[in-house]
Amino acid sequence: MNKLVLKVDNVWKSYKDLQVLKGISFEVLEGEVKVLFGPSGSGKSTLLRCINMLVPPDKGNVFLRGQNLNEHGVNINAMRARIGMVFQHFNLFAHLKAVDNVSIGLRRVKGLSKEDAREKAFNALKSVKMMKWADHYPAQLSGGQQQRVGIARALAMEPDVILFDEPTSALDPELIGEVLQVMLDIAKAGTTMIVVTHEMGFARAVSSEMIFLGDGIIEERGSPDHFFTNPKSERVKHFLRQLDILYGSHEKLLQPLDEEDFK
Amino acid sequence: MIFQNIPEPIDELIRVLGYWDYIFSGFLITLWLYGCALILGFFLGLFLSIVRTYGNRFFSTIATAYIDIMRGTPLIAQLLLIYFLPYSLNIPISAWSFKANFVMFDKNITLILLDHKTMISILALSLNSGAYQAEYLRGSLMSVGSGQLLAAQSVGMSRLAGIRHIVLPQALRRVIPAWSNEAAYLPKYTVVVYFIGVSDLFSEGYYIVSRTFLTLATFIVIAIVFLILISIISKGLDILHEKTRIPGL
Repeated sequence: MNKLVLKVDNVWKSYKDLQVLKGISFEVLEGEVKVLFGPSGSGKSTLLRCINMLVPPDKGNVFLRGQNLNEHGVNINAMRARIGMVFQHFNLFAHLKAVDNVSIGLRRVKGLSKEDAREKAFNALKSVKMMKWADHYPAQLSGGQQQRVGIARALAMEPDVILFDEPTSALDPELIGEVLQVMLDIAKAGTTMIVVTHEMGFARAVSSEMIFLGDGIIEERGSPDHFFTNPKSERVKHFLRQLDILYGSHEKLLQPLDEEDFK
Repeated sequence: MIFQNIPEPIDELIRVLGYWDYIFSGFLITLWLYGCALILGFFLGLFLSIVRTYGNRFFSTIATAYIDIMRGTPLIAQLLLIYFLPYSLNIPISAWSFKANFVMFDKNITLILLDHKTMISILALSLNSGAYQAEYLRGSLMSVGSGQLLAAQSVGMSRLAGIRHIVLPQALRRVIPAWSNEAAYLPKYTVVVYFIGVSDLFSEGYYIVSRTFLTLATFIVIAIVFLILISIISKGLDILHEKTRIPGL
């Protein structure tokens, strides 16, 4: 029985009048890969940011290995160091070389010496196949390479769980593969991950559970098999069909869309 | 001699340059006021811009109000206000001064580096320049974007550490071209200290005019001194900008 890493308990969040999350609860066990997906505006990114408290939820709690992040007196910076995050737009530190992007957290947060941090950073870069580019600045790297450095930056901190916020959706199609491959590798190495993505191939290959978010609630959840063979809700079916048109069967692109597709 | 009589403009110039020790000491005082005000203003501006950009509503409003007031009123009014305030409040001013003395080509040069008037001048110039520098810095802080600060926080840095280690190193590089405006304006702003009797380059110019009545020649010389100073500053900042550029950007 795997240990519980993260527990999201009845999380609510609104921006002014807009209720984004309406009571989300789920648990993540060690080594699990959870895939969150759903239409744009359904609150996926907000949910990830609520999990590491970059956006504190209005109501509800998040527990990391049993520790409530909302509790008074919790050092949220120290807790965040244990929750990695990979961003859609990479958000690399532009003034630092790839290796320093990875090591700065180790030095400033974990207090490692320069040499130790550098060595760990090189190891992390190795695991995302970016050793060769260690001395390059972010602006000298392609999107896919930048994202792999982003993943290395999260990995190097040896967090309990890593959150991926649409890691491939800002990439050119030919660069998506290298990033997904790295994510597959680290997933297989036993990293606990929560991934917001529309890459259904990735979800099918490694996810232990998929969660469909619609309008701030969990509309449907289940194994990849469940979603790809007989999803229950109409909304999920519709959404998967649209993804399929986009990424899958090309002949459908040539047909006129149903009126339903514009809803 | 090629010329029977030295042409008049050149003769005037030579007469003005005869007062080179006054011009030189005025130049040093201007440079001193400029350097102090630029550096003090920089730290004030850095503080204000961070408070305005990242502070909570209360502190951000205070910083904004300060910047608006300083940029919205004439520098000379600010200088005179600070200068006359102690007098109108009947606070006694003691006469004190910190001087530097040296001899150069048989001329004795005395610089009053710090006394009541000089201190007031530096204070007013710094407070004013800080407001302008704050806005240049705010622009560059915002241009770095919030994404990197989020990323810094997500690896466990505090907000302040993220600002210090991630945002500032980039903002300070990016600000140089815009900030060079302030670095080039400020030497010319320092001339307002003439009105409270500090012997800067401009005041010495007036002194030379009162002795020689050569208005045009004197102020042309002074203009050239400013021009050279500011050209050097501009070039220096261009080089600094080039040297600190982030590769690939």
